[in-house]
Amino acid sequence: MDRTTSASMEMRSEGLGTTPSEHPAFAGRIELPYKLTTGRAASVFLAELASRRIVGSRCPSCARVLVPAQDFCAECGTAAEELVVVASAGSLSGFTETAAGVLGLIRLDGASTDLVHRILDAGLADLQVGQRVAARWAEEAQGSVLDIVGFAADDAPAASEEVRPLSDPSDPVIEQPYRLRLDYQHAYGPYYGRLFDEIATSRRIQGVRCPRCECVLVPPREYCDTCFVRTAEWVDVADTGVIKAFSIIHLEFVGQVREPPYIYAEIVLDGAATRLIHTVGGIEVEEAMERLHPGTAVRAVWKDGEPVGTLEDIVYFEPVFDD
Amino acid sequence: MFGRAINRVAVVASAQTKLRDAWSNRQHVDLISEAVVGALKGSGLRIEDVDFVIDCGSDILDGRSISNCGFLGAMGAHHKEESRVEEDGLWGALYGATKIGSGSAEVGLVLAYSKPSESDVSAFYATQCEPFYQRPVGFDHAAACGFQAQSYLASHSLSEEVFADVVAHDWALAAANSAVELETAPTAGDVRASSRVAAPLHELELSRPVDGAVAVVLASKRVAQRVCTDPVWITGIGTAMDQHSFAMRERDSLPACAAAAEAAYRRAGMDGPEGASLAELSASSAATQLMVLEALGLADPGGAARLYSEGSDVALNPSGGSLPADPIMATGLVRLSEAALQLSGRVGHGPEGASSAIVHGAGGVGMQNHCVFTLEV
Repeated sequence: MDRTTSASMEMRSEGLGTTPSEHPAFAGRIELPYKLTTGRAASVFLAELASRRIVGSRCPSCARVLVPAQDFCAECGTAAEELVVVASAGSLSGFTETAAGVLGLIRLDGASTDLVHRILDAGLADLQVGQRVAARWAEEAQGSVLDIVGFAADDAPAASEEVRPLSDPSDPVIEQPYRLRLDYQHAYGPYYGRLFDEIATSRRIQGVRCPRCECVLVPPREYCDTCFVRTAEWVDVADTGVIKAFSIIHLEFVGQVREPPYIYAEIVLDGAATRLIHTVGGIEVEEAMERLHPGTAVRAVWKDGEPVGTLEDIVYFEPVFDD
Repeated sequence: MFGRAINRVAVVASAQTKLRDAWSNRQHVDLISEAVVGALKGSGLRIEDVDFVIDCGSDILDGRSISNCGFLGAMGAHHKEESRVEEDGLWGALYGATKIGSGSAEVGLVLAYSKPSESDVSAFYATQCEPFYQRPVGFDHAAACGFQAQSYLASHSLSEEVFADVVAHDWALAAANSAVELETAPTAGDVRASSRVAAPLHELELSRPVDGAVAVVLASKRVAQRVCTDPVWITGIGTAMDQHSFAMRERDSLPACAAAAEAAYRRAGMDGPEGASLAELSASSAATQLMVLEALGLADPGGAARLYSEGSDVALNPSGGSLPADPIMATGLVRLSEAALQLSGRVGHGPEGASSAIVHGAGGVGMQNHCVFTLEV
């Protein structure tokens, strides 16, 4: 982009004031895979659903039957090792309706505690505390609490049978896969906003100067980290600099954005006091091991095409060798 | 008094950013530094005088792990003793007051911040739910609030109408508090007309998540008496946590809150809340707010709604409380800041001549965890 013809550019160049970012937010995502260990009680509870049995655990101290089975009685702090089978029907002790549907708290016959689960085929108006409900089972068991699809109204009277000892338990479900996904809309704020606006509109990198220690901070921020003094002055820094430290990454990991091997580096841009984290490219890994050193000069290689206004507009920094 | 602490501990200064739906043009660091600079301004203390910094927030809400590492500069924590408490900020104040009370430090900066607008509050709470039994069936914080409300009404044969009066009372107070950004306060009718999101609760009967930051300066008696003409003394602190399994907790009352209050009152040498001028409370819903009032001993079980219909000797949430403005993880510390400002007469709201306050903070799905402070001037 031609700097001299950019009206908005001129506006931004004035004085100390920052302009609000043109970027509404930065979309971020955290996505992590887990293999969750179920623990003794839950591993049996989840496995027994395939046999259409609901397992609880009895606290040896207070004798309460905890359903779903728990390893410890939370009130007594005692290990609840004895596993028992309770009825798959009971009475409703509470209910609500959220975006997830109608949920109920169910006291199964023989249990001393409530279980939270879905309520099927009923609106809130149909429900009352104390009414009888029974489990409705999934056709095919997956080793999940959803092997019970939910609980529905049931006319059968309360079971007279006491809880039974658990006999011939199935192989426990010792692990469950889980995927956590969280989405974010991160605000840039006035300082990062201006930095990225400048990168997008003019490939200019800007920092701020601390009036006390006179360090130029990139990325810019309102307060100097070391002095806790309000930064005062916007300063252009170069898109050239020197490597302070680097590492060649061969490891693969979740969330990685570049394919290994690649060179991860801390770069001090000319005019700045801070280290910018980016990558070094334009050089083979083998050659990099020989020729890169702290102090090696680098320059930014800007992305072709329309800029997006992030540090990704710099593809990498390439080494500048004297020879 | 506060245990047999070596030092008495005072709240000597505090400040917060405006609490609003979204600070979409500012980062966490921008909000944090505003609160910290505001708290120190005019306090007679400089950042150099601060012995330690304690910060409270949620990595899950922030979308980065160990997020405090990136916020140290904005906190003024460079080369200082800094600790993160992944709990509501009132627990940070507990930690800070304990450090000063034990004689190991004299001035502490406690801060908390929140930007739920960048994230998804229901996903945040879902991460706190048990993964095998609770998450798959759709149980979350909203469901917990709904179950509590249903159970409270059923246990005490109350009509759901009582909730809207609580909400209207608090939102009207928040609208008069310049620290909370509100266009207009809904009437009880508006509350009842809002959509049902966790039956029997309507949308406005759940707390409104807001962005913001708050900072509180705690100091020893020696420092407090030097810098402050009106130190607000911490007289008691108590905390208690209920069991994680929501289905196994009491649902029409908050016994962990009662245990926390009892511990705070005992340490303050109080028999109960009698004589308190004001109470600043944290609640996720109108129903749990009534339950908090009962757990604190301000009403009998099932009787808290009458504090709204018939009036209360203790001023309830003069700042507006958490229902109109819930900066999750900072809510309890905002309550402490508000109560201290009211006791020292530095804000326009709060009862005239107030001399003592009860401050309550909570955390977790269905308010599993509770912390209570008592203050006096």
